[in-house]
Amino acid sequence: MIRVRALRKHFDVHERPPGVAAAFRSLFRRQTKRVTAVDGIDLDIAPGERVGFLGPNGAGKTTTLKVLSGLLHPTSGEVAVDGHEPRRREDAFLKKIMLVLGQKQQLLWDLPPAETFELNRAVYDVPREQYRATMRELTELLELGDLVNKPARTLSLGERMKCELAAALIHRPRLLFLDEPTIGLDVSMQAVVRDFVKRYNEQNGATLILTSHYMEDVARLCPRVVVIDRGQIVYDGALEALVERTRPDKRIVLRFAREVDARDLESLGQLVRHGAGESVLQVPKDAVNGVVGRVLAELPVSDLTVESAPLEEVMSEVFARGRGSR
Amino acid sequence: MAGEPLPTSTPPSGRTSREPSRARATAVASRYARYARLLRTQIRASLLLGLQYRADFVLDATVNVFWTGAAILPLVIVFQSRASIAGWSFGEALMVTGWFTFLEGVLDGAINPSVADVVDHVRKGTLDFVLLKPADAQFLVSTTRLQPWRATNVLSAVAIFAWGFHLLGRAPTPGAVGLATLSMLAAVAVLYSLKTLAVSAAFYFVRVDNLTHLFDSVFDAARWPSNIFRGVVSVVFTFVIPLALMTTYPAEALLGSLPIRSLFGALGGAVVALTLSRAVWNRAIAHYTSAGG
Repeated sequence: MIRVRALRKHFDVHERPPGVAAAFRSLFRRQTKRVTAVDGIDLDIAPGERVGFLGPNGAGKTTTLKVLSGLLHPTSGEVAVDGHEPRRREDAFLKKIMLVLGQKQQLLWDLPPAETFELNRAVYDVPREQYRATMRELTELLELGDLVNKPARTLSLGERMKCELAAALIHRPRLLFLDEPTIGLDVSMQAVVRDFVKRYNEQNGATLILTSHYMEDVARLCPRVVVIDRGQIVYDGALEALVERTRPDKRIVLRFAREVDARDLESLGQLVRHGAGESVLQVPKDAVNGVVGRVLAELPVSDLTVESAPLEEVMSEVFARGRGSR
Repeated sequence: MAGEPLPTSTPPSGRTSREPSRARATAVASRYARYARLLRTQIRASLLLGLQYRADFVLDATVNVFWTGAAILPLVIVFQSRASIAGWSFGEALMVTGWFTFLEGVLDGAINPSVADVVDHVRKGTLDFVLLKPADAQFLVSTTRLQPWRATNVLSAVAIFAWGFHLLGRAPTPGAVGLATLSMLAAVAVLYSLKTLAVSAAFYFVRVDNLTHLFDSVFDAARWPSNIFRGVVSVVFTFVIPLALMTTYPAEALLGSLPIRSLFGALGGAVVALTLSRAVWNRAIAHYTSAGG
């Protein structure tokens, strides 16, 4: 579905030191700096895959997404999406894809979403019958109800995102580009959006590429993650394997019936947290069984769970290592 | 005028069969039919948008009538002290004012709103959505913000023409009306092209309101017959912003005094302006997509 080879993208940005005098000077002589947003990316994505792009701000996730959708022209490299060269933006290509940008909206602000849907129907040349069927399905899946008939400006952020998704799916795209689709949404609305996207992917076999700051989005939606840092892919594979590789240690979360001295725990492994209610021990994977046995035998344990390191921590460690190695 | 460029490839050999050209003609026809449908949908949305704010709608129409009156007022004042200016009698000069009112309607009803829209899109980054639609981006941005109620300007223009011809004591010939319509089409095309150039500038500078303000104040001079301007001003008004072409030519055509040479010049100028502005627009879009974030 997607084949990317040696993709590079530079931006020339104007640089201006702070201050009025500098601002005045830059009126006459502008200094530009070359910023490399994407620095040699190779990527293959099969039809129907759900792939999450992870990376810190400015890592090149959105730039890659925009190159794949044809919005940005690559500086160099080869990009093929379902047999098309995205930068040419042929109608046949554009009818296969959709792009949702969590920070921007395409709904007409003053009109009900139904009008945006109708406009998109005309632009994408969707036959009436198919349009009605798609709308029925989307209305049910997203629980749109009568939202579509209220002016977009009166909708809540979550309601608007549901309508944004519907507007972007009217032409039944086979390739979904979602850039931060859950940004700013509350937890339950995030779950609604996630579940919907997953169901759409499963029912339609659509390919999905998602960028998100919420690890939960990626963990729930994407069996495969691509970690991008400083314009390069630093990891491509299953999320569990990444966690395993980065933090092979497991965490034993303990609750005790009565207070336990920190020293008793420190002898068992690395004590990450030790509080009144809960203590967390970090131990190598191989040692988990042994430590659990000892803890249960020696200490007044009321509850015990074994977990992997939190995703957020794993990611920040991945990025920190990337920085350190350069 | 805003459709995608038509396929220009020519058959490779002299053995051109009729079938491919017919197939191509059908493809072109269906493309036009599609854009006609799109235009209808866009106008519908614009109308709905206008009707959302009923008070605005009424106010707008009222203000329109006021501005039409304001457009005639200077003319009335000037002609109080003399019978003709630069060879134009009051009745004849009213033709220029009539077309000026008409063009203002086109400008405010169809061109300026979409200019504002593009600038907004560039600023907010929502042009991304427009560029990813499988339809010509220039067509889409040119038709999203039509204000159909500005058609009231057409009524005002017709009233002014009627008054002018009443003063002149005659009526325009059907041929003159035809030629005037042609030269008005050229005027609209040139106006649209100039605005497209201004919009293209938005991709580089983001803020182009100064440019559009400048344009609007210069355009204001189009209420006068072009030959009252002399010297440098007349050069600017002929070659930089061709005001003569915009209102004086159609007025002369209506009066039956436009040299056919001028009409051809205007039509040729319109084609050049459209081609040029289309090329600049395409470059601007390419600049946006290779640099924008």
